[in-house]
Amino acid sequence: MNSLKLTTCIVAAALTAGTAFAADTYGPFPVTVKGYGGEKANSVAYSGQVARHVLHDSLKKLAGKGNGGANAAELEAQMLSYFNGSDKDLPIIAPVSKDGFPIKQTTVNELSSGKNIAGKFYDGAMPAWPGDMTGKEVVLHMIAQAAKADGGFDAANGYDYAQLISKFTMGAMPFSQAVDNYLDEKLGAGTKPNGEAYKDGAYYTGKEHVWDEAFGYFGAAAHSLTLSAEDNYNVAKMKDLAAADANGDGVIDLKTEYVFGPAYYAAGADKSGKTAYMQTITQAFIDGRSLIASAAGENLTDAQRAELQGYAKTIADNWEMVLAEATFKYAGSVYKDISALTEAADDAARAKAYRKYVKHWGELKGFAMALQSGKNNLGKTAVHLNRLIGYGPVTLDGTFVSGLDADGNFEKNRKMSWNSYQLHMLRVQELLANSFGIEARANDQTAELAGLVDSLSGDGGAETD
Amino acid sequence: MDLFDQIAAVFADFANPKKRVFFGYLALSVLIALTWLVCIRKTPLRAALARVFDRKVLLSKSSLADCKIFVINRLFTFLISPLLLSQVAIATAIYFFLHGQDFLVPAHFSGLSQGMVVALFTAALFVADDFSKYLVHRWMHRFPLLWALHKVHHSATTLTPVTVYRVHPLEGVLYTLRGVAAQGTVIPVFYYLFGDAVSLYTVVGVNVLVFLFHVTGSNLRHSHISIRYWPWLEHILISPAQHQLHHSVAERHFDKNFGAALAVWDWLFNSLHLSETDQELTFGLDASERSSADSLKVLYLQPVADIGRLLRRRLRSGFGFIRRTFRRA
Repeated sequence: MNSLKLTTCIVAAALTAGTAFAADTYGPFPVTVKGYGGEKANSVAYSGQVARHVLHDSLKKLAGKGNGGANAAELEAQMLSYFNGSDKDLPIIAPVSKDGFPIKQTTVNELSSGKNIAGKFYDGAMPAWPGDMTGKEVVLHMIAQAAKADGGFDAANGYDYAQLISKFTMGAMPFSQAVDNYLDEKLGAGTKPNGEAYKDGAYYTGKEHVWDEAFGYFGAAAHSLTLSAEDNYNVAKMKDLAAADANGDGVIDLKTEYVFGPAYYAAGADKSGKTAYMQTITQAFIDGRSLIASAAGENLTDAQRAELQGYAKTIADNWEMVLAEATFKYAGSVYKDISALTEAADDAARAKAYRKYVKHWGELKGFAMALQSGKNNLGKTAVHLNRLIGYGPVTLDGTFVSGLDADGNFEKNRKMSWNSYQLHMLRVQELLANSFGIEARANDQTAELAGLVDSLSGDGGAETD
Repeated sequence: MDLFDQIAAVFADFANPKKRVFFGYLALSVLIALTWLVCIRKTPLRAALARVFDRKVLLSKSSLADCKIFVINRLFTFLISPLLLSQVAIATAIYFFLHGQDFLVPAHFSGLSQGMVVALFTAALFVADDFSKYLVHRWMHRFPLLWALHKVHHSATTLTPVTVYRVHPLEGVLYTLRGVAAQGTVIPVFYYLFGDAVSLYTVVGVNVLVFLFHVTGSNLRHSHISIRYWPWLEHILISPAQHQLHHSVAERHFDKNFGAALAVWDWLFNSLHLSETDQELTFGLDASERSSADSLKVLYLQPVADIGRLLRRRLRSGFGFIRRTFRRA
C-alpha cells in the first residue's frame, strides 16, 4: 500500500514538473539568466523580427506606388530606406490602423530601432531570376524595376513587383534566417550558450533569445495556438479585432498580437482542414521555449539540445511545406487565369484577366524563389521548377522573358502557347506534390480528374461476357 | 475482420448496384423471365416457375463450378487492385498530353450547358466502354493465347447469372486493364474539353445507361431463358438469346455476337447473328478443346499449360527460322 502511495506521489510530482512551463501562448517565460538583477520578469524578446516584418510589409506597399517613371528615383530611394534600414525613424506603411482594427505602433522604431532587411537577406545563388545574381542582388534589381513601373505592374514583361518582392522576401529573410541560422548553427553547444546572458546585461540567455528570434521570424501572434486557422488568417487580414486583441486593451500590439506573412500562409493552408502547419510549428516553438526555460539558466545538456533540435526540425520541415503549398496554390491560380484569359469576351475583360494572371504569377514565382532561399539545396527540383515557371510568364503576344541583355534589360526571345504554359503549371503542381509531400494542395488542377476516375472505379467494368 | 465480415466481403457484389449480380437486378431478371414465359410464350405460371428455377440448370456440376470459381477468384483480387491505381496515372498522362496539342484549348467547350455536358459524358463513357468490351472479346476468340484463357468461360455447359464470374484470373486482369484504358481515356478527354462541368448521370451510383442495361435483364444473357428481341432491335442491342447463341457449340454460331450491351459493333464488323426461333442450344466447348465443365484443376491450370505450350512452339519456330536463314546465308 505504501509503495502505491509513493508511486502516486512520484507520478503526481512528475506531472507537475512537466507542466511547470507547459503553455499555449508563446510567453511569458521567466527570466533565468544567472545573476540578473533587473526588473524584467519575462525573458521573451523578438521585437527586432517584428520590426523586420513591418519593414517587409511596408516595402511591399511601396513597390506598388510607382507612376511609370516620373517618381522612380525618389521611390527607389524610399524603398531602399526600408530595405537597408535608416537612421531616421521610418513610418510604418503597412500594416496600419483601419476602422475596427487599430494598431498600437505607427513607426518602426516603436518596435525596434536600427533594423533592416538587407543584413538578413539570403545572399546565395538565385538562378530562378535572369542575370546570374545572388539573392540580394535579385531583390535590389526588382526594387529598381518596381520604382520605374506603373503601380508595380510591368505589363510588357508580365511582372507584379509588389508580389515578387514580397513573396521572395518571405523566404529570403524570415525563412532563411530561421531555418538556416537560428534553428541551425545557433543551436550548437558552443554558440550562444544557455548558461550565459545573450549579451552583457541582457535579461535573456543565449539559447532563449536565439529561439525567440526564430519564433519572431515565423510571425505568429503569441496567442496563435489558441486561435483557429480561420481566426489566425483573419487577424492577418485585419478582419477580426476580438481574435487579435489578446490582452483586451482595444489596440493591436504588433509585437505580440498580429500574424505576419509566413504564419499567415501556414494558417491559409490549414483552413483547408487537411493540414495543421500553424499548430504544429507554433506548438514546436512553445515546446522548445519551455524546454529552454526548464534548464533554469544552465547550459543545455546534450539530451536537451537533441530534443530542441528535434523541435527545430519539425519547424523547418513544416515551414518549407507551407512555402511549397503556397507555390502549389498559385500554380493552380495561374492555370485558371490562363483559361479566363483565353476565354475573355473583349479587350477590357482580357486586360483585367491579364492583370490578375500577372499578380498570381508574381506570387507563384516569389514563393518558388522563397523555397530556394532556405537551408536545403533543392537540387534537381529547383532546376525543374525554375525551368517550368520560367524567368517570366507567357505574355499576351506569346513571348516571355528569356534573359537580361548586356545593359540589364529584359530580353524576350522565346515564345510559348497558352496550352503549353498551362501544362507547365500542371507539372509544377505534380513536381511540388511529389517533392514535398504537401497535403492542402489548394487549386489542385488534377484533383478533380483523379476524383472523377476514382468515382467510376469498381463499376463492373471487369465483367466478362 | 471476423469471419462474418470476411464472408460478407466475399459476397459483397450481390449487394452492390454497380455489379450485374446485385440482388435487385437478379430479382428483376426473374420477373422479366416469368413475364416472358407467361405472357409471350403462353407457359402456365407453375411451369414457368419450374422452368426459371430449373434444378437441372441451377444445380448442375457446371453451375456449382461457377460458384466455386466465384469464391476462389475473390482471392485473386490482389492482382486487380494495383491496376486501378494506374487508371489515375493514365488519365493524368493523357490530360497532360492534351495540353501539348495546341489546336485544342483546355475547357474549349465549357460554354455548353451542364446538362448537355453530363449527357454527352454519360453516353460517351458507356459507348467507349461497350466498344472496348466488344474489341477485347473478339480478340479473346481470335488469338490462341487469349482463347486459352477465355475458353474457361465457354466451358460452362449450363448458364446462370453467376457464370459471368466464370473467368480465369488472368482474363480478369486483362478485362480490368481494358476498363482502365477505356475510362482512363474518355475521362481526361472530356475533362480537358469541357472543364469541371464533367460528371455522370447516375442512378444508385451507377451510370444511368449501365443501370438500364441491368434492370432490363442483363443477367438473362447467362441463363437458359431464351428471350429474343425484334430483329431490328437485335441489330442495336444484344438480346439474351443472342448471347446464349454465342455460347453455343454449333459451328455456325462460332465467333458471333461478341457485343456486351450494344449489337451495333457486331453489325458493323460482320459478326452479328440474330437469334433463332425455338433455338435449342447446347452450351460448352468442343471435345477437342479438352476442357472441363466442372474440374477446377483443369479450369485453372489448363490455360496456363496451354499458354506455355503455345509460347514454346512460337519460340521453336522462331529459332527454326533463324537457323534456316543462317544456313541459307
